[in-house]
Amino acid sequence: MYLLALPGTIALLLFSYFPMTGIILVFKDYNFRGGIFKSPWATPIFKNFIYFFNNKSTAIRATSLTVMYNLLFFAVGTIAAVAIAIMLSEIANRFFVKISQSLMFLPYFISWMVSGAILYALLNPQTGMINKIIAAVTGSTYDFYAKPGIWILILTIVNTWQSCGYNSIIYYGVLTGIDSSLYEAAKVDGATKWQCIKHITLPLLKPTIIILFLLSVGNIMRGNLNMIIGLTNLNPVLFPTTDLIDVFVYRSGVRNGEMAFASAISLYQSIFGFIFVVLANKIAGKFDEDSTLF
Amino acid sequence: MKKKFSSDTVLTAAFYVLLAVAALIAVFPIVFAFVGSFTPENYVTQNGFTLFPKELSLETYQYVFQSQGYKLLQAYGNSILVTLAGTAISVFVTVTYAYVISVKNFKAAPKFAFFAYFTMLFNGGMLAWYLVCTKYLGLKDNLFALILPYSMNVFNMYLMRNFFKGLPYELTESALVDGAGHITILTRIILPLAKAGIVTITLFYALQYWNDFYLPLMLINDEKYYTIQYILYKMMSNIQYLAANPSSSVASHIVLPAQTIKMAITCIAIGPIIIVYPFIQKYFVKGVTVGALKG
Repeated sequence: MYLLALPGTIALLLFSYFPMTGIILVFKDYNFRGGIFKSPWATPIFKNFIYFFNNKSTAIRATSLTVMYNLLFFAVGTIAAVAIAIMLSEIANRFFVKISQSLMFLPYFISWMVSGAILYALLNPQTGMINKIIAAVTGSTYDFYAKPGIWILILTIVNTWQSCGYNSIIYYGVLTGIDSSLYEAAKVDGATKWQCIKHITLPLLKPTIIILFLLSVGNIMRGNLNMIIGLTNLNPVLFPTTDLIDVFVYRSGVRNGEMAFASAISLYQSIFGFIFVVLANKIAGKFDEDSTLF
Repeated sequence: MKKKFSSDTVLTAAFYVLLAVAALIAVFPIVFAFVGSFTPENYVTQNGFTLFPKELSLETYQYVFQSQGYKLLQAYGNSILVTLAGTAISVFVTVTYAYVISVKNFKAAPKFAFFAYFTMLFNGGMLAWYLVCTKYLGLKDNLFALILPYSMNVFNMYLMRNFFKGLPYELTESALVDGAGHITILTRIILPLAKAGIVTITLFYALQYWNDFYLPLMLINDEKYYTIQYILYKMMSNIQYLAANPSSSVASHIVLPAQTIKMAITCIAIGPIIIVYPFIQKYFVKGVTVGALKG
């Protein structure tokens, strides 16, 4: 038994537990030779925190962007996914359901890098297809890659495009499990399809939506670095709307080696992430015992 | 009565239309990239990318293979190797661990389960992970760096455990009574029965390895170990560099199919997925339905 558990245990130790020791970095004056353990202690010991609080605005921006995108992605993504699942469940033609479901699931298999390359071909001001259309209508091009504001919309659309087929499968799975006698009874009473959806289907989906929401709250402090790098290539012009916590840690800590600030914000992300996950799980457990991660 | 009938019909018709539109939006970018890769560069420069170019050509692919052929082939080889080896290692690590925590009368099982679960609650963050990999584990500029960090995905492990838990425990119990060891039970009894689950996590892992550019981004500098996704990343950043410095000497005298080349690499990168997709997607659907709500 222990032998079977060994490979997994080693993997967890090396790639999950070992990095946890990196928390002490925040009290250190990191240098490459010393690494995590042998670098000298920071003097004063809270130096990195002081640095962190002196640069509060960056931290606040990164945090609020991360939280905002996670909520936005969840809201828009859920509405789209639920709508698609309901529509699929109302359609009797199996063949149509299968085909459209497969097509909508396809974007989930496309990497952020590939999505970014395609997005660039659509949006760039010289040859982008969307920009050609804009130019044909308004007479001038629109430089998406110089306007941070519009990226809130773009990231939300691309994220929904990518994940909505996947999420709709979850909801569709719940819907196919609903007892069809409910609908038959409603039909006998003269309910229209629209009324059935509103009064039977949606309330039955509510627990699933709540659970998925709570699970996503657990990840609310995590930003999707892959997505930002893939779609914007870390274009500095767009940082006002794309500099998530993970992006910030990557570009300051990993790329530029500025450990002081990155380690402080990293610790803060880990701790708040932990609090959110535990809280979300507690609440999720109240709704439905089976759906917690414990 | 008649009115109600017609309102339902309208609604159903609207659903058909909306779903068809959603499906078209979903595949549009992929078709768009495919067409783009076959559009001649000078056509793109003049007219931009379109879905229906007036002429098609293979010039981009020719250029790509002539000028970058070796690099691409190497990257493709790396991607395939990493996907195959990585998936094999990950599935092995995941299945063994999932089996251990699924056995009912094994006393330490909850401890192992929590040991894995805790990593989902708390993590040291990217920075510490990066330092550990590069400085202490030697995972820098080698193929192991592209594989080992992903050897166990806790979500997939729980997914696998759910599959195992769905099997009747009496099977394991009676085999234990007959004196079989756990390794025998796992390989002879459990695995054949959990085939659907194995296929699902195998595909999840394969997709993760194939699409990954996080590990090369973090841990790879040496061109020898670039994967196809990372080549695309490099190309995106280089062309943006050229675009940002139009006066630089590099940009002024080299005419390369800068626009269409990215679409060609894109198609090369998603090609294998598109080819196997029709055969594998039903397993994913099953995996998502089983795994999503059960963590």
